[in-house]
Amino acid sequence: MSLVKDALDGVKATFTGLATTFREMVSPPVTIQYPEEKRPVRTRFKGRHVLKRYDNGLEKCIGCSLCSAACPADAIFVEAAENTDDERYSPGERYARVYEINMLRCIFCGYCEDACPTEAIVLGDNYELSFTSRRSSIYTKEFLLEPVPEGGKPTPQKVEPGVYTRSVPVMKDPED
Amino acid sequence: MMAKMVSLTIDGKHVEVPEGTLVVNAAKKVGVDIPVFCYHPKMEPVGMCRMCLVEIGRPMIDRATGQPLREEDGSLKIQFGPKLETACTTPVSEGMVVLGATEKAKAGREDNLEFLQTSHPLDCLICDKGGECPLQNLTMGFGPGESRYLYDEKKHLAKHVPLGELIYLDRERCIQCGRCVRFQDLIAADPVIGFSQRGRSLQIVTYSEPGFDSYWSGNTTDICPVGALTTTDFRFRARPWELRAAASICNHCPVGCNLTLNVRREAVSGGKWVVKRVMPRQNEAVNEIWICDKGRLGYHFGRQNAERLKKPLVRKNGELQSATWEEALELVAERFQGVGSGLITLASGRLSNEDLFNLGKLTQSLGGRSLLYTSMAGGDLTTQIGFAPGTNFADMGKESAILVVGSDLEEEAPLWWLRVRQAAKRGATLIVLNARNTKLDRDAHYSLRFPFGMAAAAVLALVNALSPKRPELPESIQELARSNELKGAAKAFAEAKDAVILFGSDGMGLAETQALAQACANLLLTTDHFGRPNNGLLGVWPRANDQGAWELGWQPSMNLPADLAQAQALYIVAADPVSDDPAYLNAFDGQKFVVVQDLYLSQTARLADVVFPAQSWMEREGSYTSGERRVQRYYPALQPIAALPPRVESPGTRRAPLLTGLRAELDGPQADFAIPAYLAEKLGFEGFAHASASLVFARLAAETPSFSGLTYQKLAEVHEQWPIVGRADMYYGGTAYENTQGLGAQLALAQNGASLLSWPQAADFKLPKLGGIAFPITRLYDRGATLMHSQLLHKRIGEPYIVLGEQEANRLKISQGGFVRLTFTESQQSVVVQVKVDKNLPERVVLAPRSFGLPVSGPTPVELKSAG
Amino acid sequence: MSKEKLPYFLLRHREIPDLDNLEVYRRNGGFQAFEKAVTQMEPTAVTEVVKASGLRGRGGAGFPTGLKWSFIDNKNWPHYVVANADESEPGTFKDREIMEGNPYQFLEGVAICAYAVQANAAYIYLRGEFWDLAARLDQHIAALEAAGLLGENLFGTKYSLRIYTHLGAGAYICGEETALLESLEGKLGQPRLRPPFPPSYGLYGKPTIVNNVETLTNVPLIIEKGADWYRSMGTEKSPGVKIFSLSGCINKPGNYELPLGTTFRELIFEHGGGIPQGRNIKAIMAAGASSSLIVADERALDTPMDYESVPSVGAQLGSASVIVIDDSVSIPWLIDKTTHFFRHESCGKCTPCREGTFWMSHLTERIANGRARREDVELLYDVASQIRGKCLCALGEFSIEAVLSGIERFRSDFDVAVGEIQVAAQVEQVPASD
Repeated sequence: MSLVKDALDGVKATFTGLATTFREMVSPPVTIQYPEEKRPVRTRFKGRHVLKRYDNGLEKCIGCSLCSAACPADAIFVEAAENTDDERYSPGERYARVYEINMLRCIFCGYCEDACPTEAIVLGDNYELSFTSRRSSIYTKEFLLEPVPEGGKPTPQKVEPGVYTRSVPVMKDPED
Repeated sequence: MMAKMVSLTIDGKHVEVPEGTLVVNAAKKVGVDIPVFCYHPKMEPVGMCRMCLVEIGRPMIDRATGQPLREEDGSLKIQFGPKLETACTTPVSEGMVVLGATEKAKAGREDNLEFLQTSHPLDCLICDKGGECPLQNLTMGFGPGESRYLYDEKKHLAKHVPLGELIYLDRERCIQCGRCVRFQDLIAADPVIGFSQRGRSLQIVTYSEPGFDSYWSGNTTDICPVGALTTTDFRFRARPWELRAAASICNHCPVGCNLTLNVRREAVSGGKWVVKRVMPRQNEAVNEIWICDKGRLGYHFGRQNAERLKKPLVRKNGELQSATWEEALELVAERFQGVGSGLITLASGRLSNEDLFNLGKLTQSLGGRSLLYTSMAGGDLTTQIGFAPGTNFADMGKESAILVVGSDLEEEAPLWWLRVRQAAKRGATLIVLNARNTKLDRDAHYSLRFPFGMAAAAVLALVNALSPKRPELPESIQELARSNELKGAAKAFAEAKDAVILFGSDGMGLAETQALAQACANLLLTTDHFGRPNNGLLGVWPRANDQGAWELGWQPSMNLPADLAQAQALYIVAADPVSDDPAYLNAFDGQKFVVVQDLYLSQTARLADVVFPAQSWMEREGSYTSGERRVQRYYPALQPIAALPPRVESPGTRRAPLLTGLRAELDGPQADFAIPAYLAEKLGFEGFAHASASLVFARLAAETPSFSGLTYQKLAEVHEQWPIVGRADMYYGGTAYENTQGLGAQLALAQNGASLLSWPQAADFKLPKLGGIAFPITRLYDRGATLMHSQLLHKRIGEPYIVLGEQEANRLKISQGGFVRLTFTESQQSVVVQVKVDKNLPERVVLAPRSFGLPVSGPTPVELKSAG
Repeated sequence: MSKEKLPYFLLRHREIPDLDNLEVYRRNGGFQAFEKAVTQMEPTAVTEVVKASGLRGRGGAGFPTGLKWSFIDNKNWPHYVVANADESEPGTFKDREIMEGNPYQFLEGVAICAYAVQANAAYIYLRGEFWDLAARLDQHIAALEAAGLLGENLFGTKYSLRIYTHLGAGAYICGEETALLESLEGKLGQPRLRPPFPPSYGLYGKPTIVNNVETLTNVPLIIEKGADWYRSMGTEKSPGVKIFSLSGCINKPGNYELPLGTTFRELIFEHGGGIPQGRNIKAIMAAGASSSLIVADERALDTPMDYESVPSVGAQLGSASVIVIDDSVSIPWLIDKTTHFFRHESCGKCTPCREGTFWMSHLTERIANGRARREDVELLYDVASQIRGKCLCALGEFSIEAVLSGIERFRSDFDVAVGEIQVAAQVEQVPASD
């Protein structure tokens, strides 16, 4: 009689296993059908860099090269130039005339974002990056700069002299 | 005479230093870095920033017995002062105990930095000094971590104020250390900046128009401990940590200041290395830690500008067209073959020793003549009676005499002006002998004037005052010769233990400088001041490597236009005669074969049959011989220009070099020493090195007696220099670079000194009754090709002008800034030019600055008329 | 110790009318001391007499005058004498009265000093605001030259002397002797490093004696009447008479010439007429704005005013410019005044004073105007302590005295200012247990 018992045990085991299979078959899949569906990214997701602007349209980047110094992969190149009130790109004396990130070197560590004193360079949400040549992997400032926000003006701007004299936003004394 | 030594203890370390040493300097000897801002090792201390406060204890002395008190264990009883003392103002004393690392001393530093930071703006992000800033470093090391100061109460002052167009001042960043003011007062002797107002409103202002009118303004940006003084040249161009340093030598004047070229490889330039700025490199025997503004801001001609020649040019159908090197070299070799003595190679002192050597050797092999393109002669004497090894201006003091004749030293060789002046302040007897007043007269012990054109005679007058054998002197010099002042000067010169003579070309051309050099040699021989260190003759040459050219046997022609006209083939390297004087156009009659080798398409090059593109000094290595006969190496900073497009077989692959024989295909400009070597190869001459400058130098040293024993390794030797600059303690000496690449070596003298005595023609030079004589003078900033590429100096360079005396100006009824028509009597060419008035100039004397487009290379007869 | 009222020795014009007329001055014994010194005494003997008299500098430092004169470097020539008439300490107005009323005694003192150190040129450096006084002094000097008392070969000897006036331009720091010399030389008025001191390296690098106006005004009398006479007044270590400039909350402000050793009480209540409106005295600033605040308790009031005794109540006598503070004055308000003064007058050469006085003035402004918290008072104390011991000259060091002593000794005023204690009338304080 052990032979029958064995056979019945075997069938039972099979069905136990298949139960898992069938259960999974009918439960909803977790696969997301990319690219038609896209999973929303988390809050601190480190995607493609974005150079931010102030609400009035002036660029936040002041060309200080701290991001370039902090980058462990030597991916960023910055060349600074002087602002004038007739041709103003950012508040203060200095702006980035050339800003390039070599995306093939970048390791998306976010050190540049940490180093930036004006919160100009942030790693955004975009992860859909591809290039067809090494040259096109070097993202320039025009590509990285975010669009002018609502109510702001594009740069360069002609502004009143003496208004935008500080490179770094007004810092308030701590209140607590 | 040894100074008395004093022993003391600094932070537990024992040190022995000469009496009179300041505590801050004694500390450096044992590796203790005491922070300073206002103190600088090249200037007297003022003790105003209070950064160097340390605890100082001295042995207690029993008042009654005068003996030091002792502890039980026998050690000296030390009493510390009630307050911290400034290490920069306190000289050492026997048994002193200095504590710089105690809590009290560190608290002193932290407190002081906190005070500075209450006013200093948080500009590090946009400040050019960030990364090489002493204030940053010290705040990180010793400062408070948090601010206790309310931002609203911060003092605001003007930012990026231009002090002239070369320097920016940021008054908020200034920490009122006074280094810039003291440097300008004491070292540069141009007190054009100073403090204004007081208290927290103390700030720097400039008194001159144009602002900061000094040839030394750039040095203040090196010694400024913060980013208050920055150059407009480097503003926002790069961050110091992105820069690499290449050692170089300045190309402009015969001092041979040691430079550092800071380069960065950058995307904006297509991935090439670019020179971002020029900084001084320490060489205490040459330029200490300073460079003049021409060297600092006038380097642009060496960069890889768009105007640079990139490919050889060959004249086809009357027009210059691009060609390959192979083609150009073939053509030249063919045309030079068999020309023999009909070939003239004309080269200037802008070329390195290696270039001149190979050029000379090639010319010699072809049987041609090598001519030095210069308007100043006398170098053959300096090779024999010039500065000997071991000569150093820093060693000249009370026992030395310095005679500066026929030179406006600050304009012709600024760093020599500075060092001669400092020697005079140390007690050297300075005799300035010139036809007109110059800046050096302020520091002279004897300030003597001779009539224009009588320089050699004036020096012979000095000889006459000493020597019983007196050749007759011309009449116009008799008054000077009889004067007590001249006799006093001659006596002081003769009695000095060591004496040197610097001769220049102020108001003189080839003939006059030849005579002057001979007269100076006579004086040195008469007083026996030659053949040993700190004695001899120094030529203030117009170009960087003129001394090297003379050493290698190059000589100028006394009648260059005639020589050029008669030649059948010309090989012109680093010279542009046509731009200097239209008279040279006669030489280019279309019959002869002309080859020009240069950086840019100059006016002479436009008339050539073949143009070879040369590499600039930034792109290769080489060596220059300074006027003090010091050979110094310079190193490449940039990769040479590649002129051929990259050969791309498939996307992403590198271009593989095409090998023809043993040499890769020549691409782009070549070094000035390599091109003659290629020609030599084509012509079948042996023994020419071309692959690298060091190989050429090795041959040079083997074949030139005065260079014997020198190698590139020897030139690269360094030893510790004092003061110590350029290391982590940037606050001490400033941001000049440490010299790790070579201090150079001085050449040995040729043996036969004494046989040089000969009496030059000292004819009377008379000013004409009608018209005038134009005398050439040198201005540091001129319109020469090497400087006009530096846009930011254009305003300081200014427009062409001549200088007239007051009487002359009145006669023509013009005043300062007016215009005259200047006609050259011989050629009858005329030009309308602006006038500056110098009330001390005699009648009939016109001063014409060189390289301003006025063809005056020696005293030239002219006529003047007011120009409407 | 009751004293008979002494005649005036310095402010003699209060007893002798028209003393600023040379005739009158000479009739009253003027220039006999100078003549005696030049014709009968060796220069070093003159110095010895002044040394023996114990005269101390009246400008604030109290350095023995004769000793200073003896320090002059006799290996370096020429010598100079400079009279420091840059009287800018708040609360000091004694030198002004001397130069207005008794100028010839001052000039005679300058002359005797010059003879003692064998200087042939003396300069009077006046603060810029004294242009009127300078003009008058020039007239007096001209009168002396006309009378043969200044100029070449005085009194038939080989000694020559000329005196010149020079105006400053409104800087308190130029009262500091080395800053004064810099200003006199035409440079920025900033103090020099010391050592070397003016008797070795002074005006144009030559040995120079710099003395206060009042100090020099004492000298003719000392030469005329002798060192012992001078020592008969005052105390043993601080002999002689002093002009006390009394101001502040006082009924009769003004200059009072009294022997050193007179008590505060006598000066303030007897001569000064006491506090107006019967208020209570609270504090005394003995040295103008550069003082520590003396708590005006009984002990302090009975303290003699001389250079040795005043330190026992935690202050210095200084220039004896006594400013009286009564209980209507809030100490934070007071030190706001002093810190603003020092910030305005700081020369800016050294970091702690330049930045520190600026910082302190902002803190005191907020504290005095009720916009501060207790932490700011702690911070002010900290900042002042940070400045101490680090400055290049005495201005910075003294700028903190009022601040530190104010916070230490009048803490309750500060607590009120930051709102921690309500003013006594409104809140009943818990009495301290016995």
